[in-house]
Amino acid sequence: MTTPARPHPQPLPRRGRGGTSLAIHAMAKGRGWGAALPAVAALILWEAISHLPGATYLIAGPTDVAIWLTANAGLAARATAVTVKAAALGFLWGNLAAIALALLSLALPRIERFISTLALLVFCLPLVATGPILRVLYGPGEGPQITIAALAVSFTTYLSLMVGLRAAPASWFDLVRSYGRGRLSELWRIRVHAALPYLISGLQIAAPAAILGALVGEFTGADRGLGVLTLRAMRGLDLPATTALATVAAAVSIAAYASLGALGRRLSVAPVPTLLAPLPEGRSSTLPSLLRWLATGVVILLLWQVAMDAFALNTFFAKRPGDVWQFLMAAPDAATNRATLVAAFGQTMVLALPGYIAGLILGAGAAAAVVLWPGAAVTLMPLAIALRSVPIVTTAPLIVLALGRGAIGTITIVAVMIFFPTLVACLNGLARTPAQVRDVFASYAATRWQRLVHAQIPAMLPAFFASARMAVPAAILAATTTEWLATGIGMGNLMALTASTSAYAMLWSAVALLSVTAAMGYVAVEAVERAVLRIYGPEQLAR
Amino acid sequence: MAPDRPPPPEVTLRGLSRTFGTGPARVAALAATDLTFAAGQTTALVGPSGCGKSTLLRLVAGLDTPTAGEVRIGGRTPAEVTRDAGLAMAFQDAALLPWRTVRGNIALALTLARRPADPAEVDRLISLVGLDGFADHRPAELSGGMRQRAAIARCMATEPALLLLDEPFGAVDELTRIRLNEDLPRLWQKRGATALLVTHSVAEAVLLSDRVIVFSPRPATVVADIPVTLPQPRLRDVTRSPAFHALVDRVSAALWAGMAGDRPLAAE
Repeated sequence: MTTPARPHPQPLPRRGRGGTSLAIHAMAKGRGWGAALPAVAALILWEAISHLPGATYLIAGPTDVAIWLTANAGLAARATAVTVKAAALGFLWGNLAAIALALLSLALPRIERFISTLALLVFCLPLVATGPILRVLYGPGEGPQITIAALAVSFTTYLSLMVGLRAAPASWFDLVRSYGRGRLSELWRIRVHAALPYLISGLQIAAPAAILGALVGEFTGADRGLGVLTLRAMRGLDLPATTALATVAAAVSIAAYASLGALGRRLSVAPVPTLLAPLPEGRSSTLPSLLRWLATGVVILLLWQVAMDAFALNTFFAKRPGDVWQFLMAAPDAATNRATLVAAFGQTMVLALPGYIAGLILGAGAAAAVVLWPGAAVTLMPLAIALRSVPIVTTAPLIVLALGRGAIGTITIVAVMIFFPTLVACLNGLARTPAQVRDVFASYAATRWQRLVHAQIPAMLPAFFASARMAVPAAILAATTTEWLATGIGMGNLMALTASTSAYAMLWSAVALLSVTAAMGYVAVEAVERAVLRIYGPEQLAR
Repeated sequence: MAPDRPPPPEVTLRGLSRTFGTGPARVAALAATDLTFAAGQTTALVGPSGCGKSTLLRLVAGLDTPTAGEVRIGGRTPAEVTRDAGLAMAFQDAALLPWRTVRGNIALALTLARRPADPAEVDRLISLVGLDGFADHRPAELSGGMRQRAAIARCMATEPALLLLDEPFGAVDELTRIRLNEDLPRLWQKRGATALLVTHSVAEAVLLSDRVIVFSPRPATVVADIPVTLPQPRLRDVTRSPAFHALVDRVSAALWAGMAGDRPLAAE
């Protein structure tokens, strides 16, 4: 809000007003039966579908899952412990790195732009390809899983901290300065407190991401863990096992998400307005933006080179920027290499893009539909929040089993991966319509439809675009993981092949191409988002 | 604009009560209030913060439902009146849609009232509230006073017979407030509307109204009902007249009398 709202003369909370936002907050608390009911309904539906004629080979029901889990209780428990441990360590390291980067950005605003670009590129690394590279760097063990989990969490935490550390009115800083205190006091007395709710919400998003990261790390050649069992079950076409493992992964993710929510309530932190708002545009306007991008690119290439040299990593698997250039541009077979890479890239994008768009449209559409039928929000919210934290790619094998290895399977996985975060973000955005604006509409007896079109959808746009931006790397992750695990085409397959045949130059080229593509997609959506925010959410840009 | 626009209604409250919460947290904001607001009159409602004046306004606007009692606007319920855009409400923080321009915000009222938005008519309203040249600005580009004027223009767009003003000048600086106080009543007096104005400013209440009703702290009960007999139109000179000051003193005295038994802020 640009103008701080004056306290309303009516001293009481307006119960039942502000509708969905209260509902969401209450739902997030997952109170008792209200939240359990849709879950039970979903369980019954799931069981029923698994018994449909013809479905027995495609879907295992809850009873199959229960039977498998009882029979393999020890195995499942040990694997879960391994995965959870890797995820927890990755969560710890990734978030510590994010906090350090955020503080560094704050201390050195001149390089903030560079740090955030670096963090973005790391966020955009195709995890399935990073896995094999880390595997050869670390050797056997848990190193790669932990690192991938850390990579998967760092960016969202960094982003929410960068918003949170600034989420205090200018007058508070003036107050501290008026007593002659400096930036350290500012940090300690104001920023830390302002950032805490953002940090907690950021960690809440990070927790399921850490588990997803650990699983993907295990897919790429670990010897223990849920990911390894999933891979084995899928290769053996063991439907109950695959479903049971996906269920366990989902349950662990939901538990992690919920326990951080509980922590936030214990600390009674306020729900944050916009968690993943775009970062403010760079302050140093001395350099034209093209030059700035170039400089950032050069520094990142240098960092890449220096990191490899500093650890004296073997050039056979630890390729440097020059090696990738050589492979794609200068070597005698460079043209063939390029053609292979581009063909695979095309195959992936043709699936990732429609899935991305479908996921966004369906997510926003479902949110709007929920608002038109208010009862639906109460039923759908807990389910959507739960499913948002499910590592969708672990269900990729199931979806591919059900829908086949063709385009539809992959597109569906990408769309599902994006659908739930978009739905939750849009529902929150829709609920953010100011109470007095709702009153204006009520005082003209406006219809629900009018309110949706003229007030709620415009109020939702900032949240929608924030979600669309964050979904770009997610879409590529979903598409490549599916290709890696199941369909055998595209970049995912190329990376799997090159990893197993030690064609590391191609692998590094694929990683570089996908990271840059995801980062460019992210930046492109961010540009659209800024244009939209200038009109629909100016308060989010003003910092 | 249309010759068939309805005459200003009489507003009656019968045994109107509103309580919030249940059990020990139960708070009565308004307890069995009976009041009649004459057709075409402007009535100011003053009282201590949180006494239930805004609740009263929201009940009249149909934004809230009474726990007991009823509101009648020209014999009809608030729901019936809102359905044909028979009333308009101005809110404390203007409540403009940030993504619409001044023009768009004013036109919105007409859209919601299912009436054609005549651009010439919207422009006339914009110059009426002195926002010429700002028609295509968004709220974020306007000062607090300009936003309030845009919100008032939105209220006037549907030519409502009943105006509900909930501290519409609360967020405005003093000088702008004086100017708005001078200009805006003329707008609704020309249309011939019944108006209810909630305000914290005793001077504003006296300046703008035909009648001031003073409420006690929660639950609101009427402690004084003071007719304001100053001549119209009231320009800023009025505020220097003895008659004006006598009325302000009466309202202030009634406010403090209503607060009797209240603890002073600090013992001296």
